[in-house]
Amino acid sequence: MIGQVRSELLKQRSTQTAVFLFLAMVGLVALAVAMHVLALSKTRLATNAHQLDVFQIGTRAGMLFAALAGALAITAEIRYGTIRPTFLVQPKRSPVLAAKLTVGALTGFVYGLLAEGLMAAFAAIAFSLRGIPNELTGSDYLRILLGGASAAALWAMLGVGIGALVRNQVATLVGLCAWMFLVESVSEGFVPGAAKLMPGSTGLSLAGNEHNLSIAIAASLLVGYTAAAATAGWVTTLRRDVT
Amino acid sequence: MIELGSQGPVIECRSLTKRYGDVVAVDGISFTLERGTVTGFLGPNGAGKTTALRLLLGLAEPTSGGALVFGRRYRELEQPLRRVGAVLESGDYHPSRNGRDHLRVLALAAEIPPARVEEVLELVGLGRAATRRVRTYSLGMRQRLGVAAALLGDPELLILDEPANGLDPAGVRWLRTFLRDLAAAGRTVLVSSHLLAEVAQTVDQVLIIDHGRLLAQGPLNELTNADKTLEDIYLELTGSESR
Ligand SMILES: Nc1ncnc2c1ncn2[C@@H]1O[C@H](COP(=O)(O)OP(=O)(O)O)[C@@H](O)[C@H]1O
Ligand SMILES: [Mg+2]
Repeated sequence: MIGQVRSELLKQRSTQTAVFLFLAMVGLVALAVAMHVLALSKTRLATNAHQLDVFQIGTRAGMLFAALAGALAITAEIRYGTIRPTFLVQPKRSPVLAAKLTVGALTGFVYGLLAEGLMAAFAAIAFSLRGIPNELTGSDYLRILLGGASAAALWAMLGVGIGALVRNQVATLVGLCAWMFLVESVSEGFVPGAAKLMPGSTGLSLAGNEHNLSIAIAASLLVGYTAAAATAGWVTTLRRDVT
Repeated sequence: MIELGSQGPVIECRSLTKRYGDVVAVDGISFTLERGTVTGFLGPNGAGKTTALRLLLGLAEPTSGGALVFGRRYRELEQPLRRVGAVLESGDYHPSRNGRDHLRVLALAAEIPPARVEEVLELVGLGRAATRRVRTYSLGMRQRLGVAAALLGDPELLILDEPANGLDPAGVRWLRTFLRDLAAAGRTVLVSSHLLAEVAQTVDQVLIIDHGRLLAQGPLNELTNADKTLEDIYLELTGSESR
């Protein structure tokens, strides 16, 4: 199992995919800060709650890119066929999935930390450029970092599960992006009661960017979604032929 | 060391069958391969060779019947890479991973020491190309990378699916020499091909398959004689003269 985990880590390090994902995430966070912190009126950025709101985009970016990385860990293997030698080495398949989930959680946590860290840095710069006093406290930042990173770790495992279930790379990546930035925001407008229970929103509650759910409920929901996706992907992987 | 089934055949297929909807890709194939034999698995494109090998290697589940390697299902082998090396026709690599990392990923998962990666790289003549991304490799180099992966665990059984595909004359000669060396070292080899010339000189027995059915099997010197070459028999059985 240690060997399988090290193998998965080397898979991540030995292609440029992670670098591209990281750069795309930096770009998205920078764009989001530019659009929100620089464009919103000062009164809409004045309070602690307003400023925490701005961090939603950083939390969502962390969760999304963690999920993309998790999904790519399996869909890229299917796309390029390396899943075949992977399964020839480990024909029981379960250890492969366990390793992908483990490595997914680790890298997802890092994506979350990086996204929130970048967000915090960019936002601090933008606030000071506009002369807006920063109302966020140390404990706000701690919650953003740890909550956001935990949410991203869970989303990475969710991404592994969805990738293993859907298997088609483009469909998986487009689906995850659309869910995070389209389905959930549209739902907020139409069915706010349901939207706050959705996997992205639960992550926002964990990071303290939203206060609709308690930490315990948000965490339980997100763990539940992740477990469901991972189980579905796991069962599919054990059952399906590799062609 | 006594291993389960170590006295029996290396490969045993019993009524191996695989259906894809209406297509019977592999239709009740039965054969056994003894230790130290080099067997050509011959048949036109679409005959069912690759499907049969996938079933043998636990990548796909048979619809009925079964296949055993060293007396067990492939999935039940401990450390399968140390017993079976396979090169699949699809050439399974990530284009932006370099040759060495491609092998290291597999070696880590199989718990094979990194020094062996360097050995097999030298063995197939890829030592100097080891740090190049696989996308820059020629077809022949990719085939050799596949062979290097199959040799990682120093296995006693090698399964090669269409290894001659796309090779230039120098590559084909390399392959022939390689197969002869394996045979001389007493390994068991199963090599599939839809071309006869590449393998006819190297194998000591053949399995001829078409439309999923096994049409002939036996030692080359028993099937052929002065009036009937392997090609005559093959074309007669597969009726592919007119195709
Ligand atoms: N995953 C699959 N789904 C549907 N049909 C398949 C699949 N794999 C192979 N086949 C069909 O099974 C037959 C045998 O294919 P294959 O084993 O690839 O032959 P060969 O390797 O001898 O060229 C072909 O008719 C092919 O179209
Ligand atoms: Mg084939």
